[in-house]
Amino acid sequence: MFDFLIDGFGVALSPLNLGLAFLGAMLGTLFGALPGIGPINGIAILMPLAYTLGLPAESALILLAGVYTGAEYGGRMSSILLNVPGDAGAVMTTLDGHPLAKKGLAGPALGLSAVSSFVGATIAIIGLTLFAPLLAQVAVMFGPAEFFALMIFAFASMAVMMGKDPIKTAIGAVLGVMIAMVGVDSGTGVLRYTFGMAELYDGIDFVVMIIGLFAISEILLMLEHANRQDAGDEMPPLGRVMVSLKEVLYCKWTMLRCGLIGFIVGVLPGTGASVAGAVSYTTEKRLSDKEGTFGTGNMRGLAAPEAANNAAAAGSFVPMLTLGIPGSGTTAVLLGALMLYNITPGPMMFSERPEVAGGLIASLYIGNVVLLALNLPLAGLFAKVLTIPRWVLVPGIAILAFAGVYQLHSDLMAIYLMLIIGVFGYLLRKLGFSLAPVILGYVLGGLMEDNLRRALSISGGDVGILWQSGISLGLWIAAVLLLVLPWLLPKLLTRKSLDGA
Amino acid sequence: MKLAADRILGLALIGLAAFAAAQAANLQIPFSYEPVGPKAFPIVLSVVLAALSLVLVFRPGENGHWPDKALALKLLAVLGVLLVYALLFTRLGFIVTTFFAVLALARLFEATWLKALIAAVLMSLGSFYLFTQGLGISLPGGYWLPDFT
Amino acid sequence: MKFNSAFRHWSSLLVLSGALATGTAQAQSDASECIAPAKPGGGYDLTCRLAANGLQETGLIDKPMMVSYMPGGIGAVAYNHVNGVRSDDPNLIVAASTGAAVNLALGKFGQYDADEVRWLGALGADYGAIVVKADAPWQTLDELMKDLKTQPGKIVFGAGGTVGSQDWMKAALTAKAADISPRDLRYVAFEGGGESLAALLGDHIQVFTGDMSELRPHLESGKVRVLASLSEERLGGPYAEIPTAAEQGYDVQWPIWRGYYMGPEVSDEAYQEWVNKLETLSEKEKFAELREARGLFPMSRFGDDFDSYVKDQVAQFKQLADEVGLTQ
Repeated sequence: MFDFLIDGFGVALSPLNLGLAFLGAMLGTLFGALPGIGPINGIAILMPLAYTLGLPAESALILLAGVYTGAEYGGRMSSILLNVPGDAGAVMTTLDGHPLAKKGLAGPALGLSAVSSFVGATIAIIGLTLFAPLLAQVAVMFGPAEFFALMIFAFASMAVMMGKDPIKTAIGAVLGVMIAMVGVDSGTGVLRYTFGMAELYDGIDFVVMIIGLFAISEILLMLEHANRQDAGDEMPPLGRVMVSLKEVLYCKWTMLRCGLIGFIVGVLPGTGASVAGAVSYTTEKRLSDKEGTFGTGNMRGLAAPEAANNAAAAGSFVPMLTLGIPGSGTTAVLLGALMLYNITPGPMMFSERPEVAGGLIASLYIGNVVLLALNLPLAGLFAKVLTIPRWVLVPGIAILAFAGVYQLHSDLMAIYLMLIIGVFGYLLRKLGFSLAPVILGYVLGGLMEDNLRRALSISGGDVGILWQSGISLGLWIAAVLLLVLPWLLPKLLTRKSLDGA
Repeated sequence: MKLAADRILGLALIGLAAFAAAQAANLQIPFSYEPVGPKAFPIVLSVVLAALSLVLVFRPGENGHWPDKALALKLLAVLGVLLVYALLFTRLGFIVTTFFAVLALARLFEATWLKALIAAVLMSLGSFYLFTQGLGISLPGGYWLPDFT
Repeated sequence: MKFNSAFRHWSSLLVLSGALATGTAQAQSDASECIAPAKPGGGYDLTCRLAANGLQETGLIDKPMMVSYMPGGIGAVAYNHVNGVRSDDPNLIVAASTGAAVNLALGKFGQYDADEVRWLGALGADYGAIVVKADAPWQTLDELMKDLKTQPGKIVFGAGGTVGSQDWMKAALTAKAADISPRDLRYVAFEGGGESLAALLGDHIQVFTGDMSELRPHLESGKVRVLASLSEERLGGPYAEIPTAAEQGYDVQWPIWRGYYMGPEVSDEAYQEWVNKLETLSEKEKFAELREARGLFPMSRFGDDFDSYVKDQVAQFKQLADEVGLTQ
């Protein structure tokens, strides 16, 4: 039954396709590493090029898939080095990645995240090879009610992020959800908080949001650090550059767990790398953060979102290849590429065009190895970014922010908005807020409202639909357990030990 | 006066919550297929936000250091540079505005004039050609360009 | 204006030296541009690429046409931009579709209405479709409509747009054809056609009002059944088997044209030149291939013909919106 894969490797290992996989991986890493320019742009830019160059379908797809997976690798770099997420999936990577860099461990952090990305992606590609048709059936069982329950679960697991200042974490999350309310209401078409500005109809764009919150506020904070002698915020000299085997082994279960979580979230249509990163990070914090060092530069805190976002990227191929339904914005663009070549995605693709389906999957394996080989040894080189003087780094971040937002919107309003959000982010950070809850609230809150209201549209207002199916019921129970157990367990345990005594 | 910042923030957020709730309450909805509608979420969130902010007003937490006057002026200068960069971005085009933005930012981050000039020339041209030629991304050429071809 | 000219020369020198260094001039002064008022990869992107690739491959333009993205306000940002900033740019065209006409009718483009731009022409069209899952009890549109009449609350419609969007309009018109008020419909708004289709396959909704072109990959898979095409006549090729709604006794049509407009102050000559270019393009054989590769059906309306077509359509949508109480 794996004939298609063997054929696929034959296709993918031809010199042209191998070269394209390599090129795609390189370009993708670059697209991913540049904040504001993500895999969608990379693919949208290269797709017409591949088509005009007259590449055969499987070669074009191999190139584009390389860009996609490469971008997920690249996104982590600026997260770790600059505290600015390179793309949507890498937001959670800043939480522990950047503190590690501040400890002088940028090299190992880059290396470890490359390994995590590799493990996560590998889990997902194997899952894709073995279970794609089966998973596709499960994925469509997720309707609005199930997604709403999933969001409840995600918010419940966020409770773990409360940390030392629960009020500010909660305020951050609420503000994030409120920002997600801006724009056309997806149910009724009513405009909310747009103040008559057409630029706000589609809501506040994710890229504008993360570039503003992270990049612009980072520029302002860098200025403060440059002007203060007392603060210990100066970057320490770069320590060792390679990640040690011990560190990788320390994170092995994290990678496996989060790779699996990321894959499942990626398979579901409508949720992608950003949700995968969030869910895996909070789950991992709950499972393995016994000393409370997540957020201060914990290796596992870095490995978790990185394994998950790469797994999600590969996972989103499942609904695309088996059902012809895009699982993410990026696969939607890839689907468009397939249509240009007159290829029908779906189960038929495996029998009718095995060289395309097999070639694509094989190229994912190959691209992943190429990316690891590319990223591990170069970690030390990339870490050198930290030694770039601020007077070069800051203008560089500004250029990337402006060019990235401008090419997405061709509109100055988006840039003004980015600057306003930047000031807002700076103030929040000065006031002791963490930015992650804001982003999580923004990503999950919109999905939560939409899916609640979709579910109720289906049932005509009957709330019973929200826990009707086994999947949603299970998610509700899991959410309740997440909230109750940490509070209940210690009590039960102490009672037990008391009884024993 | 460390604690005052959180109090001010709390009051400001209560104001924001009131504004957001009032905005949502005034939405004109032609019709909706479900009972929740577009008003419920914003209003509930506003209430939650106001409640949380109230806690903040009465039990403020720790804040970082606030910049002194000289630093605050510098911060405003950086923001000013970025704002002017944005204002002129399409009008004068990417290369010219980026040149001046890099020059100003590098100076604000204490580079010498020579270093800043070199950075400005290299970064404005380099990034323009990386984006437009290397990555196929379109950037503003500037509205004055068509005048002299 | 001494400073100004010195400034220009100096900066032009920069541009030139850079251009020489890479060997490609990027001055883009007389190169044409197409704005896709959306993010990359969507229908507007496709519309722009259709013009860009078509004009390039048939040699109607000598420099490649630049495609830029201006998402925001379901096209309103681009509409305002063309009206405000680049109202007389003779090299700029903007992609539009039926969706833009719907939004104009609903007043979602702010202060501007359909008379504010010069409608150029349409190069292709897509058509609405009424889709159910393969194991659904309805074999024909008539069976679905009869069930809908007796128990409208049991059949859930879904599509990739909010109330008042062109996706919703298809469901609303279908309901009207069954003498049911669009207000009494069960309708779910998803984020795009892909999510709606997933919901259909997962039995979360029963009817999906989508577009023909996005259904092409699913025609052969046998997982869905297209009950009706919302076109005037049957479509050819792989769609030949699908009956129109009209031939099943329900007068529902939903063509989705894909066309372009220009700024309001563009000169008549420049406008006419573009009309001619697009008209010539639409007659080329090579173009038909490009159009079909993008899943679009033929539609050729240019110049004044197109202009009045769009304006009529907007007026029609306005009336419909009033009927269902969408406008205040």
